[in-house]
Amino acid sequence: MPNNASYMFIAYGAAALVLGGYVVSLVTRARAMVRRGDAIDAAGRP
Amino acid sequence: MSESSVSSLPAAGAGRSARGTPVAVFDWLLALAVLAVLAVAARAIWYTPPEALQGEAQKIFYIHVPSAVVGLYLACPLVAIGGAMYLWLRDERLDRLAESSAEIALLFLSIVLVTGPLWGKPIWGTWWTWDARLTSTLFLWFVLVGYSVLRGAIEDRDQRARYSAVVGIMGALLVPFIHLSVDMFRTMHPQPIVLTPDAVTPGKAKLSPEMAATLKYAFLAFIVLFVALLRGRLKFAALRDRVEQLEAGDA
Repeated sequence: MPNNASYMFIAYGAAALVLGGYVVSLVTRARAMVRRGDAIDAAGRP
Repeated sequence: MSESSVSSLPAAGAGRSARGTPVAVFDWLLALAVLAVLAVAARAIWYTPPEALQGEAQKIFYIHVPSAVVGLYLACPLVAIGGAMYLWLRDERLDRLAESSAEIALLFLSIVLVTGPLWGKPIWGTWWTWDARLTSTLFLWFVLVGYSVLRGAIEDRDQRARYSAVVGIMGALLVPFIHLSVDMFRTMHPQPIVLTPDAVTPGKAKLSPEMAATLKYAFLAFIVLFVALLRGRLKFAALRDRVEQLEAGDA
């Protein structure tokens, strides 16, 4: 049997990076959007 | 904007905003999905036996195939269905469904295109080959990138939704071609062993029971992950549209 476990670990790690990166990206974008909403709210208050 | 308009903002992000607006794009479902995917990865790596000829690299299959199935057969059709329904009904929720599905499809196809070469190098001896399955999948990936760029380039909401609906429908039409490409062309890509009648015919299945069970759990985990990510992306899209409406002053 070939010894190629390193490719498997790299693939699993890469998939985790892609998925984790996407989740972080979406949370970051959502937070920025909430800040924009809050800024509109603050500007509109007397 | 009044106090009530702040509280009408959909929950988004994680934790709390500076002014205390609760934010939660993701919830318990994503936590469940992550746990499920981690459990499947642990089962694949430490419990499932390696394939005799391919060795441990064959286990890339347990993330590559479910990612391809979710990306191609769940997310891409939703892009087309959401787009087509928007063209018919002009409901912004359908545009958000198409847009969110496209982003999730791009995510899962990115995993497919990253993990595929990592399997190909030890098994085929090359990272990439321009055969029909690989090339058509890469082409769909570029179509989804183009879809995203198109959406960012058009400010008018209705025009953006209509144009991107057409691109999304055209992109989804590639899916049957990608599925059949291994039958229509001479290709290095393995023939289907999952979405085929042999997979459920006693004595003809090409996977051992342990491998088949791991693959089944992987499908379930990735489907839950898809639903969790799509829910989160839809919440974000609703939040963004609401904030843009407030900025435009038509709240």
